[in-house]
Amino acid sequence: MVKAFRWWWGILLAFSLLAVARVFLPLPFVNEVVIFSIYTMGCSFLLGRVGFISFGQPAYLAVGAYATAFYLFYFGTNPYIGILLGVVAGLIVSFIVGPLFVRLRSDYFALVNLALAVIVFYLMQKVLAGITHGDNGLWFLTNIASTPLLDLGKPDHFFIFAWLVALAVWAFYKYLDDSIYGACCLATKINEDKLKFLGYNNYRIRLLAFVIANTTTALAGSMYAVYLGFVSPEITSPARAADPVVVTILGGVGTLYGPIVGAFAYTGMKDVVSKFIGNWELIIGFLVVFIMLAGEKGIWGTLQPLLEKLFFRKKAATVTADSTEARR
Amino acid sequence: MPPDSGALVQSDDILSVRGLNVAYGEAKVLFDVDMSVRPRQIVACVGRNGAGKTTLLKSIAGFLKPLAGSITTGHTSLIGRKSYDIAKMGIKYVPQDKKVFSDLTVRENLELGSYATRDYNWDRVIVYFPKLKELMDRKAGYLSGGERQMLMIGRALLGSPKVLLIDEPTEGLAPSIVTHLRNVFSELSKNTTLVIVEQNLPLVCAISSKVYAIKEGRIVAELADPESIKAEICERYL
Repeated sequence: MVKAFRWWWGILLAFSLLAVARVFLPLPFVNEVVIFSIYTMGCSFLLGRVGFISFGQPAYLAVGAYATAFYLFYFGTNPYIGILLGVVAGLIVSFIVGPLFVRLRSDYFALVNLALAVIVFYLMQKVLAGITHGDNGLWFLTNIASTPLLDLGKPDHFFIFAWLVALAVWAFYKYLDDSIYGACCLATKINEDKLKFLGYNNYRIRLLAFVIANTTTALAGSMYAVYLGFVSPEITSPARAADPVVVTILGGVGTLYGPIVGAFAYTGMKDVVSKFIGNWELIIGFLVVFIMLAGEKGIWGTLQPLLEKLFFRKKAATVTADSTEARR
Repeated sequence: MPPDSGALVQSDDILSVRGLNVAYGEAKVLFDVDMSVRPRQIVACVGRNGAGKTTLLKSIAGFLKPLAGSITTGHTSLIGRKSYDIAKMGIKYVPQDKKVFSDLTVRENLELGSYATRDYNWDRVIVYFPKLKELMDRKAGYLSGGERQMLMIGRALLGSPKVLLIDEPTEGLAPSIVTHLRNVFSELSKNTTLVIVEQNLPLVCAISSKVYAIKEGRIVAELADPESIKAEICERYL
């Protein structure tokens, strides 16, 4: 009961804060935070649960964004269909490259994904310039049709939609974390041989995780496309390859709130610091180094025990008493 | 001779190894190893460190690809099969290092075993290892060596395996735990076949119905007569 309350308390607080942030902070900033947190959830799942570090997330982001952009630029006007197509494109690409990539060890996995990001970048910038318009990008903001209930062409409506999607994605990852599949993912990260002893096929576990994570990334890409009404190869720039990894580490690897906290901190620092310092990436770089040296827990990983102590002191005391009893 | 990938062997043995040769790269470790295990037997493999005992178990469990020879269970060859397929066939390997999934609780560790085998009946596990019931919500990383061994064997018991390959189960454990495990193995052998690699000769001689002595990758003795399964006799071959 206490656990269920704590679960709902956490999700309620996190997403209420996001909703409150909408009132006090500029809408573009909050929208960016919400989309970035969805973008990071996939990366956080891969890194925290399966142990795969990927520098190729921009490639999957671009797949989702360009699928949506192609639809809205060339074929249709409904943004929901555009987003759906982006997700389907992410799913298809993940299923095509996944069987090859997940066979690799984590370090090679990181590099092969980075190579994919470079390939997608040059495909969109040069090879497919006839349909992607190269560096000029695709502009389709005016093509997006008004839709009933939530009109995604309006930034405030878009925020509600993005907030609901982020909540759904978060709940989905929470469900995965608590499921036996989540335990399998963690087990394959800890020791894949041991999982084989039990009769599990590690390859399938990793492939499914890869597909789930990158489809989430493609969803974020689609949402970027609809929100901005514009997509250019810059979205898959290799220079941005480390962004989701940095945000994951900043927020706290493998934690469910980490992507939200990390996205908030990263976007906030980018916006605030860049007003005063041109090379804001330098500050972020120092901050990541500091966080890693401080214990690799990230912002949420450091805050979580403090918050638990503050709000659940009574429960912590009970647990300690139980453990002492068990030791006896 | 290339590894036998499809031969069918007519046999009453639940596990049969014939002419097994295994190498790590250029270094050959097992030489023409033969072994036969009947249902509900406890078969022990004894030998010094580096004799090839663990290599033998890992080869049976599908973690190493033999250079030559055959490994069969009933009428089915195990050569060329993936390790997880062999585990699904009911031949479970319990490794030596006692490394559990340390970030998962005891319950989650058992759930992993249950989900793989679709066997959610933990009563049998708890009957053998009642202590696990108290430890369900504890992270496996905080268990003692003996508790970890109980968890690993208990987890392997889910799905009612037909053969358990247990590697050095008593290594580094307190005498009271060793006695408990000895009793558990004797009880388990009423329903399951056990192949145990062990250096504790008094223990294996007390519970085994057959002992293979391995030296430098070769079977140097096969002791099946209860009179000959004695620690001092086994010692001569090591």
